[in-house]
Amino acid sequence: MKKIAIVLSVCLLLSAAAGCAPAVTDSEKPLVVAMELAYPPFETKDSAGNPSGVSVDFAKAFGEYIGRKVIIENIAWDGLIPSLQTGKADMIVSSMTITEKRKEMVDFSDPYANALLAILANKNSGISSIDDLNQPGKKVAVKTGTTGDIYAREHLQNAGRIELADESACVTEVVQGKADAFIYDQLTIYRNWKTHEDATVAVFIPFQDVEQWGVAVRKGNTELLDKLNAFIAKFRSEGGFDKLTQKYLAEEKAAFEELGFQWFFDLK
Amino acid sequence: MKLRELFLQNRNEKALPLKAALNLLLLTVIIVAVFWLSLTAVGVTFDFSFVSEYRTRIGQGFLMTLLISLASFAVSLLLGVLSALGQGSRVLMLRYLCGFYVKFSRGTPLMMQIYLFFYIIGTAWGIDNRFVAGVLILSIFEGAYISEIIRGSLLSIEATQWEAAKAVGFSRSQTLRLVILPQMVTRTLPALTGQLASIIKDSSLLSWIAVIELTQTIREISADNFKLFECYFLLGLLYLALTLPVTLITKKLEKKFSYET
Repeated sequence: MKKIAIVLSVCLLLSAAAGCAPAVTDSEKPLVVAMELAYPPFETKDSAGNPSGVSVDFAKAFGEYIGRKVIIENIAWDGLIPSLQTGKADMIVSSMTITEKRKEMVDFSDPYANALLAILANKNSGISSIDDLNQPGKKVAVKTGTTGDIYAREHLQNAGRIELADESACVTEVVQGKADAFIYDQLTIYRNWKTHEDATVAVFIPFQDVEQWGVAVRKGNTELLDKLNAFIAKFRSEGGFDKLTQKYLAEEKAAFEELGFQWFFDLK
Repeated sequence: MKLRELFLQNRNEKALPLKAALNLLLLTVIIVAVFWLSLTAVGVTFDFSFVSEYRTRIGQGFLMTLLISLASFAVSLLLGVLSALGQGSRVLMLRYLCGFYVKFSRGTPLMMQIYLFFYIIGTAWGIDNRFVAGVLILSIFEGAYISEIIRGSLLSIEATQWEAAKAVGFSRSQTLRLVILPQMVTRTLPALTGQLASIIKDSSLLSWIAVIELTQTIREISADNFKLFECYFLLGLLYLALTLPVTLITKKLEKKFSYET
């Protein structure tokens, strides 16, 4: 009888502990910002292992604006949206493109940046446009769950898709010719093309509408969303994004200007 | 006192079916309740309506995992036997090679071996088929464990048996075939089937090189519909559907052969 009582009380304790979900509206609590620290220089780590990059500074500036301490949570891409749903994080700042499907799961702020997809192709693949890629027998590498993946799913149905967990595996596949091409944003494609100029070609001809990045919050968290939108407008007008560009992206900005690409923070 | 008896059983004694059923039922209720409470606490509701939409792909992934596991089991068994014998070889280079193979495979993460073999060795030697590469990589990894299982039971056979066989005039190959091998089978079979369960689980790591097996299928689906929890819950159930029968077979074999040792 005693043992049953122990078992039951343990169960009760467990359920009580599980029942105490944190009250996220509490303004005293630190603001937990989720991002995948695998996308330099937006979300990355410095040499000491601390979160660093455009999104980190941006999130911290927002924390200062609303007077809350910011904690950066490094979460793999697949787990970002679930981290909002389960209350592990209050918002996602991870260069996340606003898409219709994601909007069903989370609410997005006003866009704060934009980006275009590009193609990194193997030199021997003969690919010089997106149409060359959408052929039977062609294989396109994508990072699972990214907009490149979504694009390939919807528009490259003739080609085979190789879904991989990280960017470097995608690039390796292209360099070795296991995949014909990798679809990702212009900046990543540009950098990887520069590193593997002997084995790859980059195709920067835009083949879709401009993607817009937004900050994601839990569905219905309008309080945080309103503050975010006010902050983004203020940050932009005060030149915050220009400062971040100077700090992290000076070289890339010069390269983008030379290539005639639209800059991340030039919203039109 | 009576109530207490319902939940207790002497060690090494089997419970009566009704008693076992009662305890199992209660345990299930408790587990489900804790799980359900956790779910409500984080505010997640399960919605499995996507399963029928993706059932063909899930079925294909399931079959692929089964196929990879069985193929890897066969190849790793071969590698394991060869390497166990090699470790006892008189040819020193062979002995060291087998020793190094076992230490390397068991001492490094499978994840690292998958990348190394697929992108460097696989590319260099033209193994581009992901299924073939996946089976080979998994076989090499698991073969090292099987090698140790076999070597262990080989060592457990007393030296006097070799001497006795020699005394009655058996040659080395006759001793192996007629004396050692039958004992080896009974001693290694339970451990080997246990290894099959490990192979089934380890095969999930092949998703890192986009082998479209069960885990990769579920990852692709969850990236499409964002139902991460439902997808991984289902994934767990499907792996259990493969590993539980193997575990049961292992138990049966253990029982069947236990009288001989």
